[in-house]
Amino acid sequence: MNISILTLFIGPLLALIIGFTFNNKQEKPIYLVTMISAIINYVILAILLFNYLFNGQEPQLLKGPVLYHAENTEFSLNLLLDGYSLVYAFVATFLIGVIIRFSRYYLHREKGYKRFFNNLKFFYIGILTILLAGNIETLFIGWEIIGVTSFFLIGFYRERYLPVKNALKIVSLYRVADVALLLAIWLAHHYYGHSINFLEISNTESIPHYADSVGFAIAIPLMFLIAAMVKSAQFPFSSWLPRAMEGPTTSSAIFYGSLSVHIGVFILIRTAPFWEDIAFFPWLVGAIGLTTTLLASSIARVQSTIKTQIAYSSIAQIGIMFIEVALGLYWLAILHFIGNSLLRSYQLLVSPSVLSYKIHDQFFHFHPPGIQKTEHFLDKIKLSIYVLSIKEFNLDRWMFNYLWNPLKKLGSAFSFLSVKVMLWIAIPIYFFGLWMVYNKELLPEWGTKYLPEGYTIICLVIILKAFVERKSILVSWGLLLLNQLYQTIVFGLNDNFEFTQVHIYLSGIIISSVIGFWVIVRLRKKGKDTSLNQFHGYVYEHPRLAFVFVVACLGLAGFPITPTFIGEDVLLGHIHENQMPLLILMAINLILDGLVIFRMYSRLFLGQHKSGYHEFAYRSS
Amino acid sequence: MQETMLVFDENKIVQHLKHYLPAQATLKDFVHHNSLHAFQDKEFFEGIFSAKKIFGFRVTFSLNEYRKLYQQGRIKEAIIDWVIIRSKGIEQVKKYKQKMLFGQYDESYNPRLGSIRKYWKQVYKIDLDNRVQPLLFRLLASYLDQGIALWHFPFEDKGLLNAVRMVENNSYASFFKSKRAIKLLHKKDLTMQELLDILVGRTELYEQYLMDQQYTHKGWSGIVGVIEEDKNTIFYKKEITLRDLIKLELLLEIDALDSALGNKWPSLGTHITETIPDYFSSVPFGEQEEILQLWQEAFEWDYYDEVLSAVRHLSKTKRLEKNKPSFQAMFCVDDRECSLRRHIELIDPNYETLGAPGFFGAAIYFQPYGGKFYDKNCPVALTPKHLIKEIEIKQHRKKEHIHSSHTHATFRGLLSTFSLGMFSGIRMLRDLFNPKMQPDISDAFAHMDLHGKLLIECADPDAKENGLQVGYTVQEMADIVYSLLKGIGLTDTFSDVVYVVAHGSSSANNPHHGAHDCGACSGRPGAVNARVFAYMANHSMVRKLLAGKGILVPEQTQFIAAMHDTASDEVNYYDRSTLSDQNYKKHLKQVEIMEKALDLNAKERARRFASINVKQDIKKIRKKIKQRSVSYFEPRPELGHGTNALCYVGGRQKMKGLFLDRRAFLQSYDYTTDPKGEVLAQVLAPLPAVCGGINLEYYFSRMDIEKMGAGTKLPHNVTGLIGVTNSSDGDLRTGLPLQMIENHDPVRLLMMVEHTPEVIMNIITSSSAMYDWFDKGWIHLVVVAPDGELYHFDKGTFVPYNPFTEVKETDDILKVIEEGIEMETNHILDATKENISVHVHKD
Repeated sequence: MNISILTLFIGPLLALIIGFTFNNKQEKPIYLVTMISAIINYVILAILLFNYLFNGQEPQLLKGPVLYHAENTEFSLNLLLDGYSLVYAFVATFLIGVIIRFSRYYLHREKGYKRFFNNLKFFYIGILTILLAGNIETLFIGWEIIGVTSFFLIGFYRERYLPVKNALKIVSLYRVADVALLLAIWLAHHYYGHSINFLEISNTESIPHYADSVGFAIAIPLMFLIAAMVKSAQFPFSSWLPRAMEGPTTSSAIFYGSLSVHIGVFILIRTAPFWEDIAFFPWLVGAIGLTTTLLASSIARVQSTIKTQIAYSSIAQIGIMFIEVALGLYWLAILHFIGNSLLRSYQLLVSPSVLSYKIHDQFFHFHPPGIQKTEHFLDKIKLSIYVLSIKEFNLDRWMFNYLWNPLKKLGSAFSFLSVKVMLWIAIPIYFFGLWMVYNKELLPEWGTKYLPEGYTIICLVIILKAFVERKSILVSWGLLLLNQLYQTIVFGLNDNFEFTQVHIYLSGIIISSVIGFWVIVRLRKKGKDTSLNQFHGYVYEHPRLAFVFVVACLGLAGFPITPTFIGEDVLLGHIHENQMPLLILMAINLILDGLVIFRMYSRLFLGQHKSGYHEFAYRSS
Repeated sequence: MQETMLVFDENKIVQHLKHYLPAQATLKDFVHHNSLHAFQDKEFFEGIFSAKKIFGFRVTFSLNEYRKLYQQGRIKEAIIDWVIIRSKGIEQVKKYKQKMLFGQYDESYNPRLGSIRKYWKQVYKIDLDNRVQPLLFRLLASYLDQGIALWHFPFEDKGLLNAVRMVENNSYASFFKSKRAIKLLHKKDLTMQELLDILVGRTELYEQYLMDQQYTHKGWSGIVGVIEEDKNTIFYKKEITLRDLIKLELLLEIDALDSALGNKWPSLGTHITETIPDYFSSVPFGEQEEILQLWQEAFEWDYYDEVLSAVRHLSKTKRLEKNKPSFQAMFCVDDRECSLRRHIELIDPNYETLGAPGFFGAAIYFQPYGGKFYDKNCPVALTPKHLIKEIEIKQHRKKEHIHSSHTHATFRGLLSTFSLGMFSGIRMLRDLFNPKMQPDISDAFAHMDLHGKLLIECADPDAKENGLQVGYTVQEMADIVYSLLKGIGLTDTFSDVVYVVAHGSSSANNPHHGAHDCGACSGRPGAVNARVFAYMANHSMVRKLLAGKGILVPEQTQFIAAMHDTASDEVNYYDRSTLSDQNYKKHLKQVEIMEKALDLNAKERARRFASINVKQDIKKIRKKIKQRSVSYFEPRPELGHGTNALCYVGGRQKMKGLFLDRRAFLQSYDYTTDPKGEVLAQVLAPLPAVCGGINLEYYFSRMDIEKMGAGTKLPHNVTGLIGVTNSSDGDLRTGLPLQMIENHDPVRLLMMVEHTPEVIMNIITSSSAMYDWFDKGWIHLVVVAPDGELYHFDKGTFVPYNPFTEVKETDDILKVIEEGIEMETNHILDATKENISVHVHKD
């Protein structure tokens, strides 16, 4: 019976594959295939729900294939079906169905009709994977899918500047959550000594753990919490949500109004066994929820555009859900999720109506608001809150100032080092490192201790150079490859491991980077400017190259389409539990290469395509 | 040489800026106008190519697109020859044709706009727009917001800059980061000049700098300029000037630069070594422009010729004398009524239809029952002196809780998620599978209660309400009725029931709904005006006065107001109870005819909607058309004025059976009763601005949907109830959305007027405003002389025009419509195929 969970993926996957074969004009088949897959899933879910309810409401675990196995690491695909995931999946499938039907007409004759439906299906697969994931590794696959489809959907109008800018901004932040989740996987591996599934941890006491340290027990849920906060736009990560309202109203309605933004709540419930028993943890979750609710409600009150208003109201409600979760009222939170996601989706769908409705209402019932007083101390407090709310409590600037600016500054600090000089130094060192990996027995003891860190630092310098590189995309791409090669050296030096693992890792990297090089060279041959100073928007003229390049980028970023994805996880497993500095450096490295890759794609292919022979929007539009 | 400005004149610059900014009002008052009104003092092509060079607008298709149109036969070779001969002479045909077809030209994007502000990024490495605009737009949107925010920007009656000052003064937080900016903000009589001295430093660059700055967000600057000029375009009054906006923006720029560079940085002017062109100095008209002009003219004349050929054919043919009409109906000149009138005439050949601007001479303000404001219901250019009040209603509008601001509060929002939220799922299904009229759908018939009462007759001319006379006096009524009837030539044979048919449009989820309503009623449904007119024409005292002026309306004749919903294809009638028994019976017969005509009209419209199969049962089609107008998921409830291209001023009898595919504005006029053209002068007066405005807005939105149009409406975000933006910190989008213009062939309006060339020359030369429309080529003018010959107005004279396209005839027009091609994509190459060529329907 367990196997039936798997059937939920067949429809959407098939629909996705078939979807690629249509051309954009074939609206009806595109719609039908998508719709049928949603309906099938709805039926399957109904059967599963029936089964679940009448078979003792036992959670079901499906152990999938083990993709990789070594002595202390294992990467397997597990699925878990329980009440929470069933209900969430039900709501998700219902909403997807509604949106598919709505979009059929709404997106009629849109340039990206097919693209939209493909992303929708891909997103749905992602969300199902998260909901039904039986272990963190599987959850991470869904997580990555959602991140990437979000990037595409926010940047759906890829020829305008603002959608692309915001998509990039949001995906950069998502990268923080990705890495948090990766760290959670690492921590869990070391804490429990093997890949654990969510079902076993519901009884944490019974699992033996290797690294017997309180730090680990706290760090694991903390990583989950950070990931959840980012995805659910909780304080201090709230400002991305209103900026995500860039795509067609229907996509905003389902993703940023409901499904995507509530995932954090689900993650918290799913990982509750990790943190329930830690005394302060529920307080932390509750405090974050409360702070978010207060700030977001206040910001929502001053929003003068309908979609951002809905976004902030939604965030405020999710803050309350965090409080509910903190109190242990999981089912209340789930109910609250259902109400909020349906309400906000619907409000977004009908948001264009607000103009004529409210103007009409005003025509008959307008009362000018009272005059703001200024004498009293409380008036001044009130006005201060007003100013802060308009400025979104500086949350957007905060991210800019504290997350990206330091990295930029750090990168600029190495500007004395020209790329050429760096290559002259870095490449020999690389081969030296490679030689050492094979001849580890010759290394003195301090070598194994400090060399990995040393190499990671060089690794970081390389990626920072790539991050601030503005002139040539070819250089940036090359640095990226070099960075990945360096990473393997780090792992090689750090631990005794079978070289097959590096092969797994490198296989995807090498292929992807070669494809990337090919695309860049082709563009150059066509006489195109490939600097990274501005957005070029080449997707307008070269949609196919853009598609190829995006696939290469995803491969390089460790997206679950190449074995690199598994390699990433496996290699990370080779960092020992007592190597925190190394881990942190590696984490920064991973965040950065995600940023560099997405930015490279955006700068090259997205944004305004400035030309006199077709129309394009002004930057501020 | 234009003189360079050495002294900074704030007033002059602000006026100049305003002139070039979009003049679109808030969306509730959507009125079509020429998007390039600022260039209308120039000849058409000179004007549009200037706009292209200065602002980077796309004003024609690309050469490649024209060439493909030629290859697919949309532009015929004979037309190309004719166009070249006309402007270059016959000996040049070969040379120019070679260039048109194979010439290579530089198509890079290189506008003058932005020449100065780009240095911020180039020299200072600062993306100033990114640092300033989000906060600036937020402040502006909050300040102007009409009712989305729950918490309003305070001190809105003090002016933008003062309000910001007061907030700053009374708060512990600040919008600014730099001390210098705050200090400057609080300076009394702060001038633009001192801010520009800090930022730019060179007086001769100030104007261009401000143009760069304001035009990067032309939507916001435009709306500020409009509100400054006309406070009534918003209900919740806000004091604002463009000057304040500029100062605030300059302050924010100083703030951003200070916080990035410290408070000592050299002004921008010190880095500019190249000579910056005066943006508005004359634009060289190169060969590329010449070729594009020829192509565009060929594109236009290819269609015009087809039309003119059929028109000449019909005007040369003897038509049957008209019988006593079974019914008469006056419609708006609107191009969307063109097909309904044709279908009515097809069903009942004795049914006479007439066209006049849809406010029917009644320039009024309208106050619905319980309304706190007035609606302007007449062309924008007029300022009404009369107020019509609704004094009794039968139905009250319902509330829609989903839009309630409670849902955005914290605790009440929580309750809403558990109550409204759970319902939302059901409502989604209802809206998808059984769309019905809801309170938040704009309903054309809700503008005025169907069974309400109006106060039309003025009781006391001296008792004014806000300077307006409430209702009309009998004398005023008679004047209005007389001039309208005279204008449309309805002076002798009257049917027993005469309909006055206004139009409006219902649509769901559509911030641009005003663009679908009656343009002659300032973008509102025109039912009020129709009712007012019918009341006047039925008034016994008015009839007497009319008789005195020579128009004898038989006693049994009754006027009845109606309104056609152009989206749902429904007609409703007003004040039917006033009909005599006999007339009521006739009316019932008319309703049958009208319903049949509406069925056919729905079918004709349906052919352009991909989701409706035109071959199915006609009642089903009608139902689907109706559903479109109440479906939230339908971004095209109707296609508005898309494809409009023609305006015919003349008698209907002659042109009956001419199939123009809903592309013509039809104004009735009878030249035989007006030999000197005095009436014609009156009739023509409003048409260039109304029809030309619509036509040019469609033209420019189609040519550049991103810079002059509003782009696709799918991501639009309603902002402040005044407009739409993309994204959370985007500029207001002006112009028409993609979904309205995608089937439009951008050709200028061809106005055809029946009379002699001499009379028409007299009329157009008597008003320079009107003359310029034709002389500068923003509208084409062709005279249809009484003998059936055509004269084209070209370079100040009327030149005989002999069309050469063969006339297409058919005896089954419905079949022609049914077999029309449906476009594959909305690119012009496909979209233009959807138009059905002009046919003459043999009777």
